Amino acid sequence: MLRLRTTIELLRHFVDSRRWFLLPLLLVLLLSSVLLVLTGGLSYVAPFVYALF
Amino acid sequence: MSVVLGVSALYHDAAVALVIDGELRGALQQERVSRLKGDPRLPIAAAHAVLAAAHMTAADLDAVVFYENPFARLEHVLVSTLRGFPQTLRQFPRAMAAQLSQKLWVKDELAAGLGIDRTRIHHDEHHRSHAASAYFASGAQTAAVLCVDGVGEDTCTSVWRGDGTSLRLLSRQLFPHSVGLFYAAITAWLGFRVLEGEQQVMGLAALGSPTKLAAMERLARINVDGSIELDLSCFAHHYDHTLGFSAGFVKVFGPPRRPGKAWVLDDQGVPVDAADRHYADVAASAQHHTEAMLLALAQHARSLCPDVDTLCLAGGVALNACANGILSQRSGFARVFVQPAAGDAGGALGAAWNFGRSRGDVPRPLAHAAWGPALTAAMMVPLATACGLVSQPVVPAEVVARLWRGQVLALVDGRSEFGPRALGHRSLLAAPGPRRVQDHINTAIKRREPFRPFAPAVLRDDAAAYFDHVTDDLGRFMTGVSTTKTAWRETLGAVTHHDGTARVQCVDEHAPHLHALLQAAQAAGHPPVLLNTSLNGRREPICQGAVDVVRFLLAHPDVNGVVVDDVLLTRPS
Repeated sequence: MLRLRTTIELLRHFVDSRRWFLLPLLLVLLLSSVLLVLTGGLSYVAPFVYALF
Repeated sequence: MSVVLGVSALYHDAAVALVIDGELRGALQQERVSRLKGDPRLPIAAAHAVLAAAHMTAADLDAVVFYENPFARLEHVLVSTLRGFPQTLRQFPRAMAAQLSQKLWVKDELAAGLGIDRTRIHHDEHHRSHAASAYFASGAQTAAVLCVDGVGEDTCTSVWRGDGTSLRLLSRQLFPHSVGLFYAAITAWLGFRVLEGEQQVMGLAALGSPTKLAAMERLARINVDGSIELDLSCFAHHYDHTLGFSAGFVKVFGPPRRPGKAWVLDDQGVPVDAADRHYADVAASAQHHTEAMLLALAQHARSLCPDVDTLCLAGGVALNACANGILSQRSGFARVFVQPAAGDAGGALGAAWNFGRSRGDVPRPLAHAAWGPALTAAMMVPLATACGLVSQPVVPAEVVARLWRGQVLALVDGRSEFGPRALGHRSLLAAPGPRRVQDHINTAIKRREPFRPFAPAVLRDDAAAYFDHVTDDLGRFMTGVSTTKTAWRETLGAVTHHDGTARVQCVDEHAPHLHALLQAAQAAGHPPVLLNTSLNGRREPICQGAVDVVRFLLAHPDVNGVVVDDVLLTRPS
């Protein structure tokens, strides 16, 4: 719930600043962050971070 | 009317500042409580310490304000990564991991760490926080404000105008053309730690000659409008944040100096090794050029604010005391002011002030820098006694006599300082001369390079008798360099650098014990000047609490004792 507020603020920032070309990259990052939240932190996905990017 | 906690964190020098109705009530860097130098982690422990000192809890806060915009920071990382592709490919995973693991979620982390509702967490902008910290601390009614640092969000330099309680952005310079990152590259090339070793570069510069100035001018060009343009072929910060300089830099100046290699100086303070003389010359050239860049930026600020006579500086580069001294003399502004925590730690204060004034609060100027939790004799003596130390009553005249007999004494006086300078509240004191006192403290106590200078603390009203170009705006917080008068350079040899300069602190009643000691020195027929350095060992944060001070004394046999209030703590004879 807390992170949802931050996600909304983040999207609002990118919409307000008209950085449309960054949206695809941003969506990938948000999906990654969902992965981080679900797994409880970076330590679980650290081995995959390099593979993801 | 609001109770606001400003927070800076996650890059370096994390800190908090508690502001109530526009008035600073407490400020503390996280490193002072975590005991990790430059600790960048969220300053939750520091927040609780500051709130406890104010007899408050996090529940009493109306707002917590982070000093920069985490979303703009992420945007900057994405844009600069795309701009630098494919060179940035290596940095991208690391940068994203840092952003996604913590930096993006800083407001959530603050809410969880402080145990308050997320709706009370806000953010500001990096340079706006810096600008507020400098302008409102100065007490000026109108001022030009120049913020110069590495990078904050996407901005490296910004010029603001302060009028009453308003701050307006006039111009800014975007990443990667950064004065701060130029200096960081020099720092890294000289083998010093970035974000810590910049002071070492400044100290080393006095030993060299600016023989490489032409190369520096090509490296960082000053445009006619005062903007800076780096020759990016010599830098690496725009594609890899772990590297400061590139192969192009090495082609111009030669291979970097090996980190940790000892410096050997002759009697005149000149490096014995020819290679080290070259490094000193590069440091001198970089320092001269940095001063020229800041002068150009100050003149740019003056052209944007021709009717104001005060210049306030903030950002990490504003900790360059030599450059501040030059600006004070040559920028054309009648006043040049730098607050004590000009680096990122001070951003916490600016963010809190900005939020408060949005609620109608009027920020109050800083009269002193002692905003940390207090330490008294009553708190220290039981611990010291339990550790085998001896306590005895002491008067200032006795302390002065000990100092002039060659002793080195720690001074603890109430609340600790906010910012990197010890200003008489957590200080290490010695007689101001001869020069061998400097060598002794550098080698035996501080265990650092022999060229590192020490600062003089002088009675404010007597400063002009011993030093030239002293101003109250820079002397109050030891943020500018002056020149020791020629007639006093031998007597004040331990606090006068090799080039005759000194980073003077003008002491008044806001540091009552140091003030009393200086008066006692004067009464004893000495100059009212003392060597004043920070109360910390090598690569340690400045001591904060009783445990830190007692541990420091026990670990440093060349320190003869600790003066706290009217008590002297010593080892048993």
